[in-house]
Amino acid sequence: MTRTIHLSLDINGERRELDVEPRVTLLDALRDHLALTGTKKGCDQGQCGACTCHVDDKRVLSCLTLAAQVEGRQVTTIEGLADENGVLHAVQSAFIEHDAFQCGYCTPGQIMSAVACIREGHAGSDAEIREYMSGNLCRCGAYNNIVVAVREAAKAVSAPARMVEVA
Amino acid sequence: MTIMEPRKHGDASDGMIGGRQSRFEGSLKVTGAATYALEYPAENLAHAILVQATIPAGKVVSVDKAAALAAPGVLMILTPEDDFGMTVATDWGGNRPDNQPYYPLPRDVKYNGEPIVAVVAESREQAFEAAKLICIRYEAAPHVASIADPKAGEGQVMDNLTTKWGDAEAAFAAAPVKIEGEYRTPREYHVAMEPHGLTAKWDGNELTIWEPSQWSHGMARTYSEWFNIPYEDVRLISPFIGGGFGSKGGALAHGAVAAFASRKLGRPIRLALTRPQNFTNYGGRAATYQSIKLGATEDGILQSIIHRGASETSTYATWPEQTGAATPILYKVENFSSQHRVVPVNSVTPGALRGPGKNPSSFGIESAMEELAYKLNMDPLDIRLKNYNDFDRQSNKPWSTRRLREALTEGAEAFGWSKRSHAPRSMREGKTLIGWGIGCGTFPVIQAPSEAMIRILGNGRVEVVSGAIDMGQGTYTILAQTAADVFGIPVDQVEVHLGDSRLPGAAIAGGSMLAGSILGAVHKAATAARDELIGLALSDAKSPLRDTGANTLAFAGGRITPPRGEGPSLTLPELMAALGREQLETTRNTLPDGASAEEQRQAWTTMAKVQGPTMGEFSMHSWCAHFAEVRVDEDFGTVRVSRMVSAFDCGRLYNPRLVESQWRGGIIMGIGQALLEEGLVDLRNGRTVNGNAGDYLVPTNSDIPDIQTISVGVPDYNASALGGKGVGEVGIVGVAASIANAVYHATGKRVRDLPITLEKLI
Repeated sequence: MTRTIHLSLDINGERRELDVEPRVTLLDALRDHLALTGTKKGCDQGQCGACTCHVDDKRVLSCLTLAAQVEGRQVTTIEGLADENGVLHAVQSAFIEHDAFQCGYCTPGQIMSAVACIREGHAGSDAEIREYMSGNLCRCGAYNNIVVAVREAAKAVSAPARMVEVA
Repeated sequence: MTIMEPRKHGDASDGMIGGRQSRFEGSLKVTGAATYALEYPAENLAHAILVQATIPAGKVVSVDKAAALAAPGVLMILTPEDDFGMTVATDWGGNRPDNQPYYPLPRDVKYNGEPIVAVVAESREQAFEAAKLICIRYEAAPHVASIADPKAGEGQVMDNLTTKWGDAEAAFAAAPVKIEGEYRTPREYHVAMEPHGLTAKWDGNELTIWEPSQWSHGMARTYSEWFNIPYEDVRLISPFIGGGFGSKGGALAHGAVAAFASRKLGRPIRLALTRPQNFTNYGGRAATYQSIKLGATEDGILQSIIHRGASETSTYATWPEQTGAATPILYKVENFSSQHRVVPVNSVTPGALRGPGKNPSSFGIESAMEELAYKLNMDPLDIRLKNYNDFDRQSNKPWSTRRLREALTEGAEAFGWSKRSHAPRSMREGKTLIGWGIGCGTFPVIQAPSEAMIRILGNGRVEVVSGAIDMGQGTYTILAQTAADVFGIPVDQVEVHLGDSRLPGAAIAGGSMLAGSILGAVHKAATAARDELIGLALSDAKSPLRDTGANTLAFAGGRITPPRGEGPSLTLPELMAALGREQLETTRNTLPDGASAEEQRQAWTTMAKVQGPTMGEFSMHSWCAHFAEVRVDEDFGTVRVSRMVSAFDCGRLYNPRLVESQWRGGIIMGIGQALLEEGLVDLRNGRTVNGNAGDYLVPTNSDIPDIQTISVGVPDYNASALGGKGVGEVGIVGVAASIANAVYHATGKRVRDLPITLEKLI
């Protein structure tokens, strides 16, 4: 059989142990080995953004990241965004309120990008939101509503520094 | 952590039919809890991947699989040598040959990229690694790479797509003003964000398939026919679909491979197409070309339309992308002639993609109409109103509803069309040329019988149960609204179960036919359930409402009361408790009464009972008018759409919030079609060159301006039980023409072949 390696990952504030082949991506580790299927596989080539997660609070494409690369780092997925009581993050609520999705498949990636976009200070204008949300494709065409949702969520998140606590 | 309470909608009418209820399944989708096909766990799962042909036509001579079989983790390799023991299933048209064997991994190669070998391994990574060790020898045959290949020829005329009335040739010859143009559209692809794929699992002779599906019942039928097992022994599960746009309506070869491999291996199999395989293993929109001749009077009255079109199809099936679909109905003309050909090439068979037929058709006629307007020095809005079509000359039937005039005038008003300067290149800001254009669209009203179950539970919750699909159009939401409306309860007292072939049958989520069809069934079932409950409440000895003297009951505000308010008032759970009922289940369908079980199955698993737009006494269609503003860099020829206003007649809107989202989605796909999207083929080998999400360009957020949508529709009760017409397809129809027309207005350059890229403008 193929050689496996043991990994101990910090995902959504929990320690998760797994044995995988060294070539397994973070995306496949989440979806196929840890039952965290909220992170989506749209292209597996770094082109669509559906697999966007946070590693140490920065957005990364989990399809282009090996699981072995994130040992010792904090991984946040869509499942870790709401608080422990299930209260939605401001961006999640804004996506519902402004109908910023249809099929929902790009949505976790859009939301993870949006949280990072706001945190990075790139939600200052609609034009800036469009630019910094353009790594996430949405074929249903929810772009107008995504811009509104990110703009409104950015207002709700008045102090960007507080967002860093999300994990 | 910053928290924001999910906002509540204060207005109770949001939850009624026609209300702006937010997406019913929204919280599942924003938390990652919505479960798509490949996300269902299966014990002892194995993974299959496909190896594709690298020649466009010929034969597989041999497959050397020894090295791959010896690779770590490999369990099985399937090749054209394997006896699949499967039979060909019924096609879209309802035809099924007798006992014809089906080879999902064929020996005869019909297109480059056709799957010919499958590798099954313990892990997907191992399967991919092993696939590299497989050596396939071919005997190549001559091929036709695409419609642009000189060897393609003119193809065959489709007689059923030939339309004529009057004498178009003579009227064109006699017309004082003439224009003539040839319009081309390339191969276009769905690029749904969720790639195709499935998990297949056998329990004895029963097959369960988790696969994204726009039609759970139709696809279950295909699997049962492939394996010659009873329909009831197949279960297809698809509660969430990551976009389809026409691509997920039928079972495909990779599904057959996975199901076969699972049975042979005795383990569940997961087969996920790669993103590039989503460009080769099923068809997108066929490439098309069409010539249009328009003859008119000096004052802009159309005298003649002559249309000749063609589209690519495969060498093994005929799929026409009907370039003449919109041409006969948009404008009033007494002399008309249209013909469509199909040109077989070595590609996968094309398929339905948003606005099939109508979309390229409207690009042709709507471009041509503006060419005529400019030739006449007429306002493009005026020429459309002047040639307004008063009835459907193709079917010789009146329109059920057609508010295209309102769409044009109200759209123009919102856009500010009256401020337009007519001459091309006459509007600019510095080095940016500005142009405005119009494109009209249409899509037929299609209906199919459907069935739904309503279950009232003892706790007062109401369940709507249907095999219908929600791929983002909003089926969950509008079904919940319909039940809430009928029972006078808040939407959050309703549960909706969808996307399972074991549930009551429904129309396909395609052709914009699902909402109108399934709401008819849900409304009928819910009303019947309410009537049954009223009957019990007024007659059952245990009911506190029995002796009120009322002959009916009102359901409103979560309470059930006699109509004039006299007597007791109960909630649904209170009434169920008083009646001693755990649940009340009611199923209704929209077939004629007395339909047999076989007729019912045929209704939801085939296209046999589908009703077209002119099968009744009216001609029924959705309509729209798009107004586009483009900004073109004069030096570089780059085009940006800076503004869109689109006005629609889609009848009654069941949920305007979700409808507006769908309209925008169609418009955005149309912007992609106009400016970005083009499937490229290598003529040497028929290979799809840009088959991935980075090289086949779809619109990104920064490509898209604010889009204003306007509804000008009125309820159309001929079109559907609750008055709606289709909304999903029509949004894209006419967009590309509106942008091409705006580009002409900005630059004075007429681009007749999509997409409009910079090299065509400089």
